[in-house]
Amino acid sequence: MDYLVAVLLPQLLHGLVFGAALGLLALGLTVIFGLLGVMNFAHGELYMLGAYAGIAVVGATHSFWAALVVAPLAVGAIGAVTELTTLRPLYRREPLYGLILTFGLALVFREGARQIWGGDMRRIVPPFTGSTPLLGMTYPNYRLFLLAASSLLLLAIWLFFTRTRAGILVRAAVQDAEMLDGLGVNVPRVFTLTFAGSAALAALAGLLLAPIFTVYPQMGVEMILLAFIVVILGGMGSMGGSVIAAFVIGLAQSLLTLWMNPQRVAIAIFAIMIVILIVRPRGFFGREGVLE
Amino acid sequence: MAHDGIVLEVDAVSKSFGALAALSKVSFAVRQGQVFSVIGPNGAGKSTLFNVISGLHVPTVGRVRFRGREIAGLAPEAINRLGIAKTFQITNIFPEISVFENVRVAAQSRARESGRLASLWRLPDVEPGTAELLRAFGLAAKRDELAESLSHGEQRYLEICLALATEPTLLLLDEPTAGMTPGETKEATALIRRIAAARGLTVLLIEHDMSVVMGISDRIAVLHFGEKIAEGAPEQIRNDPQVIEAYLGPPEA
Amino acid sequence: MSKFYLLLAFDALLFGTIAMSLDLLMGYTGLVSFGHAAFFGLGAYASAVLLERGIVSLWACLLGALLVVGLYALVVSFFATARRGIYFALLTLIFAEVVYTFFRYTQTFGGSDGIQGVPSPRLIGDVAIDTPLRNYYLVLVYLGLAYLACRVLVTSHFGRVLVAIRENEDRTRFLGYDVQRYKLAVCMISALLTGLGGALYPGRSAFATPDLMLWTVSGEFIIMVMIGGLGTLAGPVVGGAFFVLLQEKVSSYVDWYFIVIGLVLIFIVLFMPRGLLGVRDLLGGRRWRTTA
Repeated sequence: MDYLVAVLLPQLLHGLVFGAALGLLALGLTVIFGLLGVMNFAHGELYMLGAYAGIAVVGATHSFWAALVVAPLAVGAIGAVTELTTLRPLYRREPLYGLILTFGLALVFREGARQIWGGDMRRIVPPFTGSTPLLGMTYPNYRLFLLAASSLLLLAIWLFFTRTRAGILVRAAVQDAEMLDGLGVNVPRVFTLTFAGSAALAALAGLLLAPIFTVYPQMGVEMILLAFIVVILGGMGSMGGSVIAAFVIGLAQSLLTLWMNPQRVAIAIFAIMIVILIVRPRGFFGREGVLE
Repeated sequence: MAHDGIVLEVDAVSKSFGALAALSKVSFAVRQGQVFSVIGPNGAGKSTLFNVISGLHVPTVGRVRFRGREIAGLAPEAINRLGIAKTFQITNIFPEISVFENVRVAAQSRARESGRLASLWRLPDVEPGTAELLRAFGLAAKRDELAESLSHGEQRYLEICLALATEPTLLLLDEPTAGMTPGETKEATALIRRIAAARGLTVLLIEHDMSVVMGISDRIAVLHFGEKIAEGAPEQIRNDPQVIEAYLGPPEA
Repeated sequence: MSKFYLLLAFDALLFGTIAMSLDLLMGYTGLVSFGHAAFFGLGAYASAVLLERGIVSLWACLLGALLVVGLYALVVSFFATARRGIYFALLTLIFAEVVYTFFRYTQTFGGSDGIQGVPSPRLIGDVAIDTPLRNYYLVLVYLGLAYLACRVLVTSHFGRVLVAIRENEDRTRFLGYDVQRYKLAVCMISALLTGLGGALYPGRSAFATPDLMLWTVSGEFIIMVMIGGLGTLAGPVVGGAFFVLLQEKVSSYVDWYFIVIGLVLIFIVLFMPRGLLGVRDLLGGRRWRTTA
């Protein structure tokens, strides 16, 4: 029982937070792919840039909360510029080009970050320290904050996609991008805003997680690989599937680190993916008849 | 298995997507050589029916038999190999290769080498048949153009050529005249009728244009909200009150 | 010719041939492999392990590479070709990452140092391929044979179906082709050709390290194909040679090498999608993008 509370529970909670962050990234990938037809290989780098932008803002203002506002906006702006200048010409072309271009973008962002901030591991100090007694053990306050923040964030996103006109529009367009044409919607603007939005969310996730993990130029690579696994398992037609798969992978990752070293965990997650793919080749919610 | 001249048998097919029932207990049979049309208002389930027959969807309930053989649940490529070819409502060709190559690669799938090791180095000669198909549909002059540069009407013809190149017994035409001008539509209708007769094909047709349907069909089935509400010869269907109601709404009280 | 230039030429032709085999997938079938480095690295390791153990026959090395890479490629292809093209890109990446992680952290294969100091392979009897000149001739033969094989493949029934799959995968299925089988076959062929190239590498370098399997190496293969021109076979060979020379020049200013690669990729996708050789195609008017 002690073990359960002292060791398992924190990892479980941590897994939920991690899963939420993965869900944010995977959702971003899914929405962008459904809407724009581009698989954004640079999404992990947007996550990483969020953390570095946070470092920059904290360095200038000594306020984590300022960073929480400024960093996503900054990265969202980067996203918008990127979409306008490099992605827009690709929408009519074969998906192959979008893949390669965003791969190139990822290289540029990653190496650019390394040039600007160096390759060393950095840290963002959590905005508040201390722990709270919870369910029989003490739990770091910042992690509790993260739990609350990620739940709120996911709730907000869910509300956006189900209750707002813009959200419903985007969600429908993710399934069928052509429908936007007939609706008198300013399609280019929707594309830019959606891309910027997904970039901002990725950045927010990167910043929020930064005080727990270290910040380094490669941090996006690991996240994006896991996000890809989530997308493969969740199925790209299904936003709900992505979120569910994100939690599964997030929890698996978290719990497995209790018993294995990081490299083995990576291979174990991979093995889990393989098993699921064998049993359900289309992932959790693959749609029949889309020749998925 | 004896099939008494019945090429296609749709047997109590229902198809649901989650809570949405797209097809409900649809049954009919198509005889060899017939031109059988499926009509109905938008959303009636016509395309879903085609998707079930061609293998894109598996029926939730019911069976589909092609020349006596169960085909529900088979993969699309397997169903095509058995002799059913489909055209798409939204033109679905190979845009950046030539018109000739479009049809040639379709015809090639029936060559002896297809699916065998020899296909790795041999190129089967299906050019004569390909050229003939293009001639029949008036596309011979454009054979070296990229398919995406054809006019809409020509692309619809190319759609049909692709399907015919696979030497089917049953041809599924999904709104073949969609987007065509009235003149083109008339021409296309006559052409389809002629070629189907010449090749001894059975045709299952989805159409919106009533003039096409009435002019070309041996038999018509009407779908409404996923159910078959009428079936019969064109004359019967034209005068069927239920059909009229489905299209025009309930009669004034 | 000086030793340095012979080795450079070796690299240029070796990677050029690998790029050509990748073109079968990318240019002809429209599938982007982000994990080709794994095929290359596995071939190198297979060869190095045999050489290290005193099995110095070149033929044994080639056979070993074919077996190891073939087995791996079979598994990857099976999963990667089951769904739409986008999943192919994601899954090849994930599989390759796992392979890299495995070799990087497994001491049996030397961990991060890999296998060092292997002897040169022998052609027959006592004839060892132990000079830059002999390695160069060997890679020339490899290039020649591989090119012939690819040419035959591409002008055959099989090759035409690949192009159909690239142009419209769904339609190709409805014409009676078992598309997954074709994708699997071309992936295997491409992987095996690449693996053979990998098997030749320890003869030149006397080592096999995990770095050969980095995803950045996969990215470099992609650049080579893009530079040379998709769907031209000869183009990627030139692209590979060009890239090796470029890399040689640029990495002396090593630091922002990756930014250069990223920018080159972005530039090519946006402004020169047909690559260097492809431009000729464009000027001459495309009829059939892969005319012999």
